[in-house]
Amino acid sequence: MIEVLGLSKHYGGRKAVDDVTFTARPGRVTGFLGPNGAGKSTTLRVLLGLDAPTSGRALVAGRRYRDLAQPLRTVGALLEGAGPVPERRAADHLMWLARSNRIPRRRVREVLDLTGLAEAARRRVKTYSLGMRQRLGIAAALLGEPDVLILDEPVNGLDPDGIRWVRDLLRDHAASGRTVLLSSHFMAETAGIADDVVIVHRGRVVVRGSLAEVTAGHASLEEAFFARTGDRTGGPR
Amino acid sequence: MTVRFRDLVAAERMKITTLPATWIALAVALAGHTLLGFAAGTDIVRVAGTAGPSPIGQTGTLMLAPAYALAAVAVLAAGGEHRAGQLRVTLAAVPCRDRLFAAKLATTAAFCLLASIPAALPGHLLRHAAAWPVGEWTGRFGASVAVQVLLGLVGFGFAVVASSVTVPMAVLVVLAVLGSPLLRSALPDVVRFLPHEAASSLAGMSPALGPVAGLAVLAGWAVVSVAVAWRVFVRRDG
Repeated sequence: MIEVLGLSKHYGGRKAVDDVTFTARPGRVTGFLGPNGAGKSTTLRVLLGLDAPTSGRALVAGRRYRDLAQPLRTVGALLEGAGPVPERRAADHLMWLARSNRIPRRRVREVLDLTGLAEAARRRVKTYSLGMRQRLGIAAALLGEPDVLILDEPVNGLDPDGIRWVRDLLRDHAASGRTVLLSSHFMAETAGIADDVVIVHRGRVVVRGSLAEVTAGHASLEEAFFARTGDRTGGPR
Repeated sequence: MTVRFRDLVAAERMKITTLPATWIALAVALAGHTLLGFAAGTDIVRVAGTAGPSPIGQTGTLMLAPAYALAAVAVLAAGGEHRAGQLRVTLAAVPCRDRLFAAKLATTAAFCLLASIPAALPGHLLRHAAAWPVGEWTGRFGASVAVQVLLGLVGFGFAVVASSVTVPMAVLVVLAVLGSPLLRSALPDVVRFLPHEAASSLAGMSPALGPVAGLAVLAGWAVVSVAVAWRVFVRRDG
C-alpha cells in the first residue's frame, strides 16, 4: 500500500507538487499519469525519501520510506535519472545493491535471468543499449522481491517485446496481491495496464479513481485527461 | 531485520573496488611513488632552481603528486555517486543518510589507508633505504601514509559538497601546482596553512610548519571538509 497525503514540495517559490493525495492499493496497478513537468517524478522522489516534503506525508506499507529497515525488500523502484555508474559491470551493480540490504547473492542471478540480461551481466553498463539499461533498472527494482513496485517510465527505450514483458510483469506482480505504482506520460500505454489512475497536472491531482471511472464518458484515457485539464499542449509549465 | 553497518561497509567497498578508475589511480600512485622514490634515492635527477639544481626529493609539489593520485580514489568514491544519478539508487537502498555517510567515510578512509601502503612502500624503500635506524624509517613512512589518507579525506569531503569528481581534483591540483608557488612569497603565513603546504610539512619536504604542525593542519582540513560534507549530505535533496 502506498499513501500520499496532502503532499506538497516547493522549490523556492515554485510549487512542483501541491497538496497531492492518492492511494495505491495492493493487488492493483495504479497509473500515475501526467505530462512532463506535472510533478510525477518529484512526488516519487519524496515518496522514496530522496527529497524532503515541504508539507504532507508519503507512506509505503504504513511507514515513511526512510524508516524502512531494509527498503529494497519492501519497495522496488525505478526512477528516471537514477542509474548505475556506466563503467561498472551490471552484475557488480546488482551485487552491491544486494549486499547493502542483505539480499542473497542468488537473487542477482535470478533477476538477471528474469530480465534477460544474464548473458550481458559481465559487460560494463556503458556498453548497454537504452533498453538494456532499463531492464537493468527493473532488475534492481526486483532484487529484494518487494511487495511494492514504483516504476517511473519503465517502458522508455524498450522495444515492443520489452514493453509487453513489462506489462506482463506488472500485471503478474499485482495479481499476486502486491502493489504497483506506474508513473508515465504515455496515457494509451498505461491504460492497457492500470486498474486505477491518478492524473496530475501542474503539480495537482486533477482526477483519481478506477480506470473505468476516470474514462467514463470519454473515448480514451487521453481524452479524459484533456477534458479534465483543458490543456492540449501537454507541456510543462 | 535491519541493515547492518558492516553490510553497508561491504557494499561501499564493492563500489570502490568495481570501478576501473580506482585501480588506474592506484597504478598511477604506485608508479609515481616508485619512479620518484628511485630518482630521489639515487639523486640521478635534479630540478633547476634559482639557487641552482636541487635534489628532486626536496621538491614537494613533485614528490607529493602520487599522493594526489591516491586521493583521487576517495574523490571517486564520493563524487562518483553523482555520475548517471547513482546517488539516487544508493539513497533508495540506504535511506538513512547518517549511516550511509558514516559507512562511506569509514570504507573510503580504510581503503585509502590500506591502499597507500603498497602504493607508497616500494618508492619509500628506494628513497630511504639508507635511512636507518628503523624508527626514523617507519616514522617517515607513517607520515607518507598519513599525507595520502588525509589528502584523500579532504578530497572526499570536497567531492560530496561539489557533487563532482572533477571539481575537487582540479581545485586540489591547482592549489598545489599554481596556488602555493604563486602566493608563497606574497602571503607566506596563509599559504603554509593550505592543505598542500601542510602535507609537504608533514612529509618533511617543507620547513613551513614542521611535521607535527603539518599533521595537525592537514588533519584539521580533513575534519572540516568531512564535517561540512556530512552536514550537506544529510540535508540536501537527492
